[in-house]
Amino acid sequence: MTSLLLNGAATQVAAAPETRLSAALRDECGLTGTKVGCDAGDCGACTVLLDGAQVCACLVPLAQAEGRAVTTVEGLAATPQGAALQAAFHSHGAAQCGICTPGMLMAATELLAATPNPDEAQVQAALGGVLCRCTGYRAIIKAVLTLSTAAPPPPGAVGDSIPRLDGLPKLDGSERFGADDAPADALWLRPIRSPHAHARFSIGDASHLPARLLTAADIPGRNGFGIYPDIKDQAVFAEGLARYRGDCVAALVGERAAVEAVRWEDLPITWQELPPLTAATAPGAAPLHPRWPDNILTTGRLRSGETAPPAAHTAQGQWTTGFVEHAYIEPEAGWAERHGDTIHVHGCTQAPYMDRDEVAAVLGIPLDNVRIIPSACGGGFGGKLDVSFQPMVAVAAWLTGRPVRAVWSRGESLASSTKRHPASIHATAACDAAGRLTSFEFTADYDTGAYASWGPTVAGRVPVHCMGPYRVPYVRSQARAVLTNNPPSGAFRGFGVPQAAIAQEMLWDQLADATGLDRLEFRVLNALREGDTTNTGQHLRHSVGLVECLEALRPHWHTLRAQRRTTGRLRGGVGVACMWYGIGNTGMPNPSTMRLTLAPDGRLTFHNGAVDIGQGSTTVLAQIAAEALGLPVSALHMVLYDTALTADAGKTSASRQTFVSGRAAQAAGAALRGEILRRANAGPDARLTLSDGTLRVNNEPLRLDTTLEGTGSYDPPTVPLDADGQGIPYATYGFAAQLAALEVDLDLGTIHLQKIVAAHDVGRAINPLLVRGQVEGGIAQGIGLALMEEYLPGRTENLHDYLIPTIGDVPDIETILIEAREPLGPFGAKGIGEPALVPTAPAILSAIRDATGATLRRVPALPHRVLEAIRGH
Amino acid sequence: MTDIRYLAPPTLDEAVRAFAAAQGAARILAGGTDLLVQMRNGMVHPGTIIDIKKIPEMTSITEAADGSFWVGAAVSGAVLAEHPRFGKVWPGVLEAINLIGSTQVQGRASAGGNLCHGSPAADSVPAMVAAGAVLTIAGPNGRRTMPVEAFPVGPGRTSLAAGEILVGFTLPARPAGSGDAYLRMIPRTEMDIAVVGVGVSLTMAGGVVTAARVGLGAAAPTVLLVADAAKVLVGSKLDDAALNAAAAACSAACKPIDDKRGTIVYRTKVAAVLLKRAAAIAADRAQGRA
Repeated sequence: MTSLLLNGAATQVAAAPETRLSAALRDECGLTGTKVGCDAGDCGACTVLLDGAQVCACLVPLAQAEGRAVTTVEGLAATPQGAALQAAFHSHGAAQCGICTPGMLMAATELLAATPNPDEAQVQAALGGVLCRCTGYRAIIKAVLTLSTAAPPPPGAVGDSIPRLDGLPKLDGSERFGADDAPADALWLRPIRSPHAHARFSIGDASHLPARLLTAADIPGRNGFGIYPDIKDQAVFAEGLARYRGDCVAALVGERAAVEAVRWEDLPITWQELPPLTAATAPGAAPLHPRWPDNILTTGRLRSGETAPPAAHTAQGQWTTGFVEHAYIEPEAGWAERHGDTIHVHGCTQAPYMDRDEVAAVLGIPLDNVRIIPSACGGGFGGKLDVSFQPMVAVAAWLTGRPVRAVWSRGESLASSTKRHPASIHATAACDAAGRLTSFEFTADYDTGAYASWGPTVAGRVPVHCMGPYRVPYVRSQARAVLTNNPPSGAFRGFGVPQAAIAQEMLWDQLADATGLDRLEFRVLNALREGDTTNTGQHLRHSVGLVECLEALRPHWHTLRAQRRTTGRLRGGVGVACMWYGIGNTGMPNPSTMRLTLAPDGRLTFHNGAVDIGQGSTTVLAQIAAEALGLPVSALHMVLYDTALTADAGKTSASRQTFVSGRAAQAAGAALRGEILRRANAGPDARLTLSDGTLRVNNEPLRLDTTLEGTGSYDPPTVPLDADGQGIPYATYGFAAQLAALEVDLDLGTIHLQKIVAAHDVGRAINPLLVRGQVEGGIAQGIGLALMEEYLPGRTENLHDYLIPTIGDVPDIETILIEAREPLGPFGAKGIGEPALVPTAPAILSAIRDATGATLRRVPALPHRVLEAIRGH
Repeated sequence: MTDIRYLAPPTLDEAVRAFAAAQGAARILAGGTDLLVQMRNGMVHPGTIIDIKKIPEMTSITEAADGSFWVGAAVSGAVLAEHPRFGKVWPGVLEAINLIGSTQVQGRASAGGNLCHGSPAADSVPAMVAAGAVLTIAGPNGRRTMPVEAFPVGPGRTSLAAGEILVGFTLPARPAGSGDAYLRMIPRTEMDIAVVGVGVSLTMAGGVVTAARVGLGAAAPTVLLVADAAKVLVGSKLDDAALNAAAAACSAACKPIDDKRGTIVYRTKVAAVLLKRAAAIAADRAQGRA
C-alpha cells in the first residue's frame, strides 16, 4: 500500500511498488486524465507534478511517490493558476485533439508556479518535454504567455473565431479516448506480430498458455480488410505468411495479468524467415500477392498537351523520401462488447462507417448488427482511417461473450500502422526564355508496402497534382504504387502530394534561376488563375486564390530576403513554395449527410456523423448548420458520430469535412429552416429565436406537435478520370503559398528555422481560429517531413529514435488567410487539413538551396545529408 | 500480477548484500528512466528491484575542503542543477547532464544511470571523462575506484563485476583558471541522442593552456578519452594551428558507425568541429570571460 497526497487528498494505492505511477493513477485511482503515449519518457503525455515538479508518470515507480504530493490534470483547477491556464488554452485553440493537453497543462503549471510571467524561451524550455502532433505548438506558447482569454468569444456566426465547442473536456481530464472508458471487467487482447519482414510461420498447440490464442481459424467471417471494396488483402490474423514486420499473426485474449505475463518464448510459433522484398520491383521478384504478379498495385497516369512548346531552359532531378509515421500521441485503443447478435465497438477512429463495414464482414454478420461508437480521437492524420484494433476486439468479444479491450504500445503502433509512402521521383521541367513553363514530366514509384491500404488513392492523386497549381501546356505524369515487404503505406495528410510537391517546386527554383527571374515572381507568372483549364481538362471558374496568396507573401519575401545573413558560418536562406489540393475523393462518390431536429419541447439537436479528430469539424459544422438555420450555435445540442445515431458523413480525410459535410450541414440547416418557416407561414427572411424551450418566428411563438427534421446531403460533383487522367477529379481545390526563412550551420549541416509565413486560400474561413490551428499544425508536420522524420522498420520503433518536431523546432508562424469564395462550398468554404502541410517541406528545401546553393535530393534533410549536398554542390 | 521483490535499503552495505544475494536476478533502480522502460518492453524481468534512492551516499552532492566534488550515482540532473556551487565549478559537466532527456526526465535521470546504461552516446560521459572524474564502485569484495573512461567496455557493456554497484563520482579539485564545456550535435532541438558529443576541460594561465582533457562520445563503441587532442592543446594559446591539430586528433580517434543518425564521414568531421567550439567555450570559462 502506497500513500499519496493525490490532488490534495490523502490516498492509499494498492498496487505493487514498481508499478508505473501513470498506470497506478489510471488503473487504480481511475484518473484517466493522465495519458500514456509511449511509456518511455519520450512524449510527456503522462506529465504530472510530483511535489510540484513535472515528471513523466511512466518513469516513476509508485514506491518513489510514497508520502509525496501528486497533482494531475484532474486537480489542476484547484491550483493557483489552473483555471486561468485552462481558459487560456481554450480561447487560444491550444488543445486540438487533446491527448497531449493534460501533459502540456501540467508542465505549464510547474513553470507558472515559479515564473508567473515567463518569456517565450522559458515556455519552450518548460514545455519542451511534451510532444504535440496537432497544434504546431504556437497556440500553446501563446496561451501560456498571455494566460488570459482576452475579449469574450463572439457568438459563433460563420467567420467567428469561437473556441471549440467540444473543448472543455480536453482541459480537465474528463475527455474519454480509446484507452479511457473500457469496462473494468473487460478482457485484454494482445496482438502477436511478426518480428520478421517476411516469414512463413506455423502456430502449434497453445493450450499451455494462460490465455486464449486467437488465430485465423477463429475468424467467423472474412479474414481480410482493406480500404477498397474489391481489395481485402490484409488479414486480421495472417495465414501462414507474414508480409511485414508488425503483421499480426494471432492475439492473446484473457485476464490482463495472464495475457501480459506470456513471454515471447512461450508462444508456440515457429518462424521460417524468407528474404524480404524491400526495393520496389526488383527484377524477377516473387509476387507478394498472387493478384499482382509484378508487385505493381496501381499505376496512375496523366497526359495533357500533344506537343511541348519550344523551351529555352530545362531542369531535371531525382528525389527520394522515406517512410513517415503519423505519430499521433494516442496509440490505437478501443474495446468491443457483444449485445446478443449485435457487436458494439468503441475506440479511436477517423472512419466509423468504414469500420462498421469491415467489422460486419469479419464477423460475417449484417451491417445493422454492428455499431461503431467512436471515442475521442487523439490524433489521426490519416493513420486511423484503416482499421487496427477494431476487427480483433470484435472477434474476441464475439467469441468470448465478454467485453474485450486493446491498447497498442508505442512500439507496436509504430511497427504495425500505416505510413506515408516513400517516393522515388524523377522529374523534368522546361520553360521559355520569359520563364513561362512549357512542359513537365514526372515518374515516381511510391512504396506501398505489404498491403494495398490507400495505395491506389495515392497513385491516383499524385499524377493529377504533381505539376502543382501552374499553367503547364504539356504534362506527362505517372505514379506507381509498388508492393514490398515494408509496412503498409496508407493515408497520411496529403496522399502522396507532399512528396511530389518537393520535386515540382525544386525544379521551379532551378528554372527561375536559369531565366534570371525572382523565385516568387516565377511562381506568380505561372500560377493558375480563375478561368484557366487544368491538366485534367477541368475549367476552373471560381476560387483560385493562388496569385493573391503569393501577393500577400511578397512584402514578407523582400523583408526576409534582405535580412538574411550571407557571410559567415551561419548562412541565411529564404524559400518559397506553392501547392494546390483537390478537396475530397478523386473522381469518386464522396457523400455526406447531416441532420437537424427540433423537438416539440424546443430541443434543437444537430446529428453530426463527421468524426472530429482534433481538427475542429464539430465546431465548424455546427457554425455552418446554425447559420443556415438562423439560430445561434449555442442553441444546438449535439449528437455526435455513432453509427447507430448519426447518418453516414463519410470519413475524416481528404480535407473534406468542412467542404462536403459542411455543405450537407448547410443544407440540413436550410431544410429545417424551411420546415419551420412553412409551419409559421413566414417569409425567407424571418427571424428565429429559441429560448426557454420556445421557438419564435418573428417574435411569434411556434408550437410544435411533432419533431421537425432537416436533413441535408452533399456529394461533390466530379467526373472520373479516364486512362489519360482527363476528367473532373475534384469539385474544388485549396491553394497556398508558404515562405520559410532559416539558417544553415555550414560546418555541421544543422538547420535553424527562423520564420514561416503561410498564405492559404480557404475559400471562406468558417472559424479563423481553427483554420490557423490547422495551418500551424500542418506546418509542424511539414517541418518533420523536411528535416527529421524517417521511419526505419525495427530501428525507429519509439519516439526517441523516430523524431517528431518539439516545441523548439517550430518557429514563429504568420498565417494569412485568403478567401476566394467557392460557390459550391458552405458559405464559400473549402478544406484546409492537408493543404497546410504540402508546401512546407519544399519551402524549407528552397531556403536551404538559397542559403547554400545545394539542392537536397533526399528528405529528411538530416545534417549529414545537408553537408554532403553542400560539399557536392 | 507481480512477484517482484522491491527493496529500498537505507545503506549501501545492505544494498550490496541484497544485490549479491539475488545472484544476478536483481536490478538497481535509481530514477527508473531505463529500468521501467525495459521492464515495460519485456526486455528485463527482474526478480528483485533494489531502489538506491534512500542511500544518502548515493543521493548526495558534497564539496570537500580541497574543492573536489562528490556526486552520488543516483543524484538526478535537476538536483545537481540546483546545487549552488557545482555548476559554477563544472559548467560543462552540468550542461552535459542537463541535456539528458526532457525537464521531466531531468527530475529522474542520474549521471550514474547514464554511465551504467553503457551507451557510447551518453551525454554526461564525455564531459565526465574530460573532467577526469573517478568512480567509486562497491561490491561483495569491498570498494574500488577507477577513472570514468575505463568504465564502459562496449555498447551496453561496463566493467562492473558481478554484484558491483556504481556508488558515485569524484570530480577533482579545480585549479584556478579552469573551465569546461560540452557540445553535442543532434538534428532536433531537444530530447535527442547525440550524433557526436565532445567534452573539453582546460586549465589556463596567462592565455596558455596548462592542462587539458578531451572526451569524445558517439564516435566509437565507447566514449573515448582523446589524449592526443589534449596533448596538442597543452602549451598552446589555442591558436588555429593547435586547434586544428586537436581537431584532427579528435577525428583520428573516431571509429564510428554509419547509422540512421549519421555517417562515418559526417561523425568524423563533426567531432573536429565540436572540439574547436567546445574548446573555445571552455577557454572563455577558464579565463573568466563566460
